[in-house]
Amino acid sequence: MENSLFSKPRDLFLDVVNPRDYVQIDSVSHMYQLLKDSVQKPLKMILLYGRPGTGKSMLLHKLHHDLSKHQKVFMVSTPIIDEDDFLRVLAQNIFGHAPREVMTLNRFLEVSGALSLSDVPIVLLDEAQLYSSALMEKIRLISDARAIKFVITLHKTDKEDVIAKEHFQTRIWESIELQNASAEELKVYIQKKLLKANCFDVANMFNDKNMKLITSLTKGNYRETNKLLFSLFSLYCWYEENQPHSLQYNAIKPKWIEMAAIHTGLIHA
Amino acid sequence: MLDIKRLERRWLKYKIKKFLPYAVGVIAILILGITTFFWTYPEDSKNAPKVVTLPQKLPAEPVVQPIETTVLEPSMEFVQSFQGTPPPQKAQAVAAYSPKPVQRQVYSKPVVETFNVPEYTPPQPKVLTPAPKVSTNANGISINRDESKLDIDELQSRFKENSNANLGLFIARYHYEHGNYSEAYNYALKTNTLNNRIDESWILFAKSLVKLNRIDQAKKTLQLYISQSNSDNAKGLLESIDNGSFK
Repeated sequence: MENSLFSKPRDLFLDVVNPRDYVQIDSVSHMYQLLKDSVQKPLKMILLYGRPGTGKSMLLHKLHHDLSKHQKVFMVSTPIIDEDDFLRVLAQNIFGHAPREVMTLNRFLEVSGALSLSDVPIVLLDEAQLYSSALMEKIRLISDARAIKFVITLHKTDKEDVIAKEHFQTRIWESIELQNASAEELKVYIQKKLLKANCFDVANMFNDKNMKLITSLTKGNYRETNKLLFSLFSLYCWYEENQPHSLQYNAIKPKWIEMAAIHTGLIHA
Repeated sequence: MLDIKRLERRWLKYKIKKFLPYAVGVIAILILGITTFFWTYPEDSKNAPKVVTLPQKLPAEPVVQPIETTVLEPSMEFVQSFQGTPPPQKAQAVAAYSPKPVQRQVYSKPVVETFNVPEYTPPQPKVLTPAPKVSTNANGISINRDESKLDIDELQSRFKENSNANLGLFIARYHYEHGNYSEAYNYALKTNTLNNRIDESWILFAKSLVKLNRIDQAKKTLQLYISQSNSDNAKGLLESIDNGSFK
């Protein structure tokens, strides 16, 4: 099974956020450049939002990877819900201060004021919709005091418009919305990913008809695409091992794309 | 772990569900058509009782009909011709026959001509080249990015290093889709030398030659390839080049 032609492509589409797997696509690169430019501006908060699976976390990790070479950047991938823990973790990782007493907001601002850093440190908060209102208010106060510059990512949902939220209405100076990929962008995404890993023969198998089907099933969502292709190549691995006569190496079978979509829940059958 | 058997069953169920409304629709239209036909047909026959003579003529119309009618008809016609009166019914029958075979001959030719044509129309070059977006930063510097294009230069340099036939085919196809036929020709040729069993590479090679106005060479190449591989795709392409439908 592991010697299969399709096991390597399958593993490429594991839904793991790794900045090394970042694939440059027209719209995403444009957004990333905007984000980088915004970070250089004297802003207090930058909001990166979009529907789940549009690549927010990947951009944030990529930004962390690139900025950490030049300046003080701290990334909070998993939300820290407790306020005291949150301030304590920031104080320790940014200012190198590990207090034994309870870390209050005033104490935190004192610590940051005592250490006059040449550049305002940057904190990247992923999944910020999970933070409580009280903690978001503290984050706002910290950014107002210019102790830390925050870049936060939020899910955009149908029910609520995050931009309208009280915390962000007046505090955000830059907001960037990420969207799903078009059919062409998705094709480039898949092919670049495969070519990067030297899977030329598998990259050759994707034709425009396949891409239309994949885009219609995933609606251009990167996470759904990754899940679908992981399933698809798992199917190929199985058929290669058990029914090799049913394999075609010149094109992807639409039937198997649909079967993978059924398996991942994109098609309700 | 994938349960392929169950997945295949679910896929079949999904396909049936998907096409059921269309099938029901088609059947309903058919039933409707048939019932309306039978509903209206007797009424017509009732309204026009004078045309009752037609059924007598109808068996005479198809020439394929057995001896029954042909045996009887000629004797009557001969009698009429001896009497000097031309048979008007026969003239009508001949007039009714004549247009049918002519139309059939006209329709039969294009079917042969359109053989395999859609497969060889070159895809639109727009697919991988959306318009570059422009961003402006604080200093007013505009950044033009066109990352949606595959990094073809990088792929070409990788091909130089590893000489992978599949990569060569990918690059040849990319160039052909973007209208760079000389590059497509070069890469298809390199791919053929690396692996001469890739059907698509030979097809791309011949198609690029046609686009470069080297039609004779394209034909010779295809004939040679067909003699060795008996490829249906190559045969189809050769035929469409001969017909002039692939230019």
